Amino acid sequence: MKKIIYLLALILPTQILADWEVNMPRGVTPTSEIAYDIHMLMFWITVVIGILVFGVMVYSIIYHRKSVGYQPAKFHESTRVEIVWTVIPFLILVVCAIPATKALIMMEDTSDAGITLKVTGYQWMWEYEYLEDGVNFFSKIDNKSNNARRLNSGKDVNDVEHYLRNVDNEVVLPTDTKVRLLLTASDVIHAWWVPELGGKKDAIPGYVNEMWINIKEPGVYRGACAELCGKDHGFMPIVVRAVPKLEYDKWVSLRKDNRVAESQNIGR
Amino acid sequence: MSTNVQDIHEDHHHAPSGLMRWITTTNHKDIGSLYLWFSLLMFFIGGFMALIIRAELFEPGLQLVIPGFFNQMTTMHALIMIFGAVMPAFVGLANWQIPIMIGAPDMALPRLNNWSFWILPFAFTMLLSTLFFDSGGPAAGWTLYPPLSLQGGNSMPFVILSIHLLGISSILGAINVIATILNMRAPGMTLMKMPIFIWTWLITAFLLIAAMPVLAGAITMLLTDRFFGTSFFTASGGGDPVMFQHIFWFFGHPEVYILILPAFGIVSTIIPAFSRKKLFGYDSMVYATASIALLSFIVWAHHMFTVGMPLAGEIFFMLTTMLIAVPTGVKVFNWVATMWRGSMTFETPMLFALAFIILFTIGGFSGLMLAMTPADFQYHDTYFVVAHFHYVLVPGAVFAIIAAVYYWLPKWTGKMYSESLGKLHFWLTTVFVNVTFFPMHFVGLAGMPRRIPDYPVQFADFNAIASVGAFGFGLSQLLFVYILYNTLKKDVTAEDKVWDGAEGLEWTLSSPPPYHSFEKAPRVE
Amino acid sequence: MSNYKKTYITVSFIVVFMFFFSYMLVPLYDIFCEITGLNGKTNQERIVNLDEKPTNRFVTIKFTSTVAGAGPFDFEPLEREMVVEVGKVYTTSYILTNQSNSLKQVTASPSVVPGAEAEYFKKIECFCFTQQEINGLETKELPLQFIIDDKLSSDTKTLILSYTMFNTTDQLGVK
Ligand code: HEM
Ligand SMILES: [Cu+2]
Ligand SMILES: [Cu+2]
Repeated sequence: MKKIIYLLALILPTQILADWEVNMPRGVTPTSEIAYDIHMLMFWITVVIGILVFGVMVYSIIYHRKSVGYQPAKFHESTRVEIVWTVIPFLILVVCAIPATKALIMMEDTSDAGITLKVTGYQWMWEYEYLEDGVNFFSKIDNKSNNARRLNSGKDVNDVEHYLRNVDNEVVLPTDTKVRLLLTASDVIHAWWVPELGGKKDAIPGYVNEMWINIKEPGVYRGACAELCGKDHGFMPIVVRAVPKLEYDKWVSLRKDNRVAESQNIGR
Repeated sequence: MSTNVQDIHEDHHHAPSGLMRWITTTNHKDIGSLYLWFSLLMFFIGGFMALIIRAELFEPGLQLVIPGFFNQMTTMHALIMIFGAVMPAFVGLANWQIPIMIGAPDMALPRLNNWSFWILPFAFTMLLSTLFFDSGGPAAGWTLYPPLSLQGGNSMPFVILSIHLLGISSILGAINVIATILNMRAPGMTLMKMPIFIWTWLITAFLLIAAMPVLAGAITMLLTDRFFGTSFFTASGGGDPVMFQHIFWFFGHPEVYILILPAFGIVSTIIPAFSRKKLFGYDSMVYATASIALLSFIVWAHHMFTVGMPLAGEIFFMLTTMLIAVPTGVKVFNWVATMWRGSMTFETPMLFALAFIILFTIGGFSGLMLAMTPADFQYHDTYFVVAHFHYVLVPGAVFAIIAAVYYWLPKWTGKMYSESLGKLHFWLTTVFVNVTFFPMHFVGLAGMPRRIPDYPVQFADFNAIASVGAFGFGLSQLLFVYILYNTLKKDVTAEDKVWDGAEGLEWTLSSPPPYHSFEKAPRVE
Repeated sequence: MSNYKKTYITVSFIVVFMFFFSYMLVPLYDIFCEITGLNGKTNQERIVNLDEKPTNRFVTIKFTSTVAGAGPFDFEPLEREMVVEVGKVYTTSYILTNQSNSLKQVTASPSVVPGAEAEYFKKIECFCFTQQEINGLETKELPLQFIIDDKLSSDTKTLILSYTMFNTTDQLGVK
C-alpha cells in the first residue's frame, strides 16, 4: 500500500510536496547562513543561465527542424561570438568568487573562541571533551534506533522516535558563544556534520582539524558522520543541544559532579 | 608495424575461426567489438549492484543486506562502472572509429591492442572474485581512502593488483590511440582537420598516460603501507592519510575528464549530422577541450575541501575549479549554436545527444555549485554530490556511448536498428534517469550523507522514488539488449552513408566496412 | 628515427615519469606542509642552537591527547593549559600509563592548531621524536620542552597542542 502511495506521489505533486525537505537548511550559525546564501546565489545564477541556454535550444528544436521545411544555414564560426561567451561566464564567475572568498576567510577564522570542544571520532561513536571545563564523555546511537536498525529486527523503524538521529549522550553547548571545535579521530577518518550548524570537517587520526560555530538559537540540532568510516558509518549520529549560557554553566557543574542523570534535564 | 597492408584479399583473414578468432584477433574492429560487448556486460553487472543498493535504500531500516556488504556494493559498483563499463566502451569506440575516421587500415599496434583488451577479463574476474572471500571484497569506497582501506580483509592485494592491470590496459590502449592518430592519418588530414571525436580521444589518451601512472603509484603506496612496513599514509610512522587523498585526486580529477571528453567528441559529431550544419566553432571546441584537460591537473583538491586545507589552498582550488566551468560552458554554447538554424531531425542518436546536452549541463550546474567552497562544506559527501556525478556520468557519458552505438551501429554491421524501438528506449531511459537521480539533489541538500545503508525516515519519500526510477532504468536497458539482438539478426541492408547529414571518411566505406578498413589511404582536401 | 619511434619514446617517457612523479609528490607534499602548516605538522627533529629571546608577549597553550585505536593506555597532559611568554623555553610533560600486562612500543604524533602557526611551536625535547617503550602496568612521565618562536603572528592568542598515542608494538616498519 505504502508503495502505491509513493508511486502516486511520483505522478501527483500534491500537498505532500509541502512537507518534503528539498533545500539546504539556513541553519542557526553565521557559517551555515553564509553557506546557504552562497548556495542560493549559485542556484539562481544557474537557473537563469539554464533558462537562457535551454530556451534557445528548445526554440531551435521547435522551429529549426527539417519536418517544418527549415533550410540549414551555412555559418559555422565566429570569433566574436566565441569571445563573448568566454568572457561573460568568466565575469559572472568573478562576481561569485568575491563573496565566496570573503565567506571562506570568515569561516576559517577560529580566533577568540569562548570555549573549545574536542571531538574525537571512533568506529563508531564520538567522544567529546570540553577542554576548559574538563568534562568528557562518549556519545553513540541510542538503543532504540540501534535495536531497530538491525537486519530483520522485526521493528518498524517508523515507530522509533528520531530514528538514526538520536544519541545516548547529547553534546550541550551555550548559545551566543564562539565554540572552537577540534576534530580528530582514533582509528579512521570521520567527519563531523550538523547541517544546521554549518559545514562539516574531517576528523583525521593523528592530526587535529579545527572549525568554529556560534549558535544563535537554543534548540536541538541533529547530524551524522559524513565520511565513510566502515560498516557502521551510517549509525553514528550527532545531537547538539544548544542552551543559554547560564543553563550551560549549570550543566557543566552537574556534569563535573558526575550528576549525569540530573544534567540530562537541562534545556528540556 | 605488423599491419599487413599488402593483404588485399578481403575475405582471406589468415585468422582462426570460432573462439580462437576472438582470442587471437589483432583487427581493430574485432577488438572494438570485444571492448563494447565487455563493457555492456560490466554495465549490467555494475547495474545489478546498483539495484541491490537501491533496493536496500527503498525504505528506511535494513531489509536486505548487512552494512558491510552494502559498502562492498557501493565500492564495487563504482569501480566496475568507471573502469569496466565507461572506459572500455570509449576504448571500444576508439578502436572501431579511429582507423575508419582518419583513413587508416588498422590501429598502429594491433598486437598490443589484443593484449590491452584481454587483460580486462582477467582483471575483473579477480576483482569480482574478492566478493566471495571470507572477509569480503573492498568496502572502503572506490576512492580507497586510508586508513579505512588498510583495514580491509585479504581482498586488498587482489583489488590493488586488478586495478594495476586495469591501469596497464588503459595505458596500452592510450599509447595505441596516440600512435595511430599521430602517425596514420590520411594524407591531407592535418591536425586541425581531424574529426572532433579524434581530437577528443587524442587529448583523452594523453590524460590517460599522465593520470593512470599516478593512480598506480598511489595504490602501490597503499600496498607497501599494508604489507611492507612503509608509512606513507599512517600517522604513527610519520605519514599522513590526507596525502593519499591528494595523490588520488591528482589522478581522480583528470580521470573524470577521461570519462567525459570522448563523450564530448561523440556529441560534437552527432549534433551537426542531424542538424545538417557544420559544427559551430571547431577551433574553439579543440581549444576548449585542451584547456579543460590542462586545467584538470590543477583542480584536484576540490574533492577534499573538508580535510582542513590552509585558507590559501581552499581559495586557489575554488578559483581554478570555477575556471574549468568556462571552457565547459563554451562547449555547450557551441552545440546550441550548431543546432541554431540547422535543419534538424530526431533519430535515436540525436535524441540521446540532445538529452546529453541538457542533462550534462544540469550536472555541470551542480558542479559549479560544488566548486564554491563555503557551500561545499555543506554539500560534500552528501547525496547532492551523488546526484552531481551521476548527472554527468549517466545522462552524460553513458548517454553519449549509447548515442554513438546507435549512430555507428548501421555502419559497423550494415544493419539498421529499429527506429521506433530506439525511440522507446530513449524515452524510457531519459524519464527514469531523472526519476532516479533528480530526487538525490533534494535529500542531499536536506542532509543525507552518501555511502550509508540506512537513513532517517525524513528522507524516505525521495529515496523510494529514486529506487523506483533505478529499477525502471535498469529494466529499460534490457530493451537496449533486445534492440541490439534484433538488429544483428537482420540482413545487411544499410546504405554506406547511413545518415544524410553525416560527414567523415567512415561514411565513404561500405557498411559494414572491409576487414582492413582503408587499404589505400584516401586523400583529404 | 621514424615518427612511430618518436611517439613511443615520448609516450613511454611520460608514463614512467608520471609514475615516479607520484612518489615525488611525497617529499613535495612535506615541503608544502611545512610552508603552509597543513595539518599542523611541527618540527620532527630536535632543534639545536636556539637562543631564548623573551618578548614580554604571552600566549595560552592548551594541551590535549588522544589514544589511537584500542590502545591499552591512559594518556593525559600533566597540565591542561599554560600561559607562556613568547621566546622563552618551557618544560611540561604528558603522563602515559600502560594498562596491559605486557611491554608495549608506542609512538606519539603531534599536531598543532591553528595549522598556519604550527611551525612557530618549536620543540626542543620531545618524546615524539622517537619510539618509546613502556612496561606492562607502568606509568611514565614523558617530558616535552618547547619554545614559541617570536615570529608567531601577533593575532594568535591561543595555540593548541595535541598528541595522538599509537600502539606500534606489532606494526611493521615503524621507526
Ligand atoms: C563544470 C564542470 C565540473 C565541476 C565544476 C565539477 C565540480 C566537482 C566538485 C567540486 C566535486 C566534489 C564535490 C564533493 O565531493 O564535495 C565533484 C565531484 C565529482 N565529479 Fe564533478 N565537476 C564537473 C564536471 C564533472 C564531470 C564532467 C564529471 C565526469 C564525467 C564529474 C564527475 C565527478 C565525480 C565522479 C565526482 C565525485 C567523486 C567522488 O567523490 O566519488 N564532474 N565535481
Ligand atoms: Cu563515518
Ligand atoms: Cu573533480
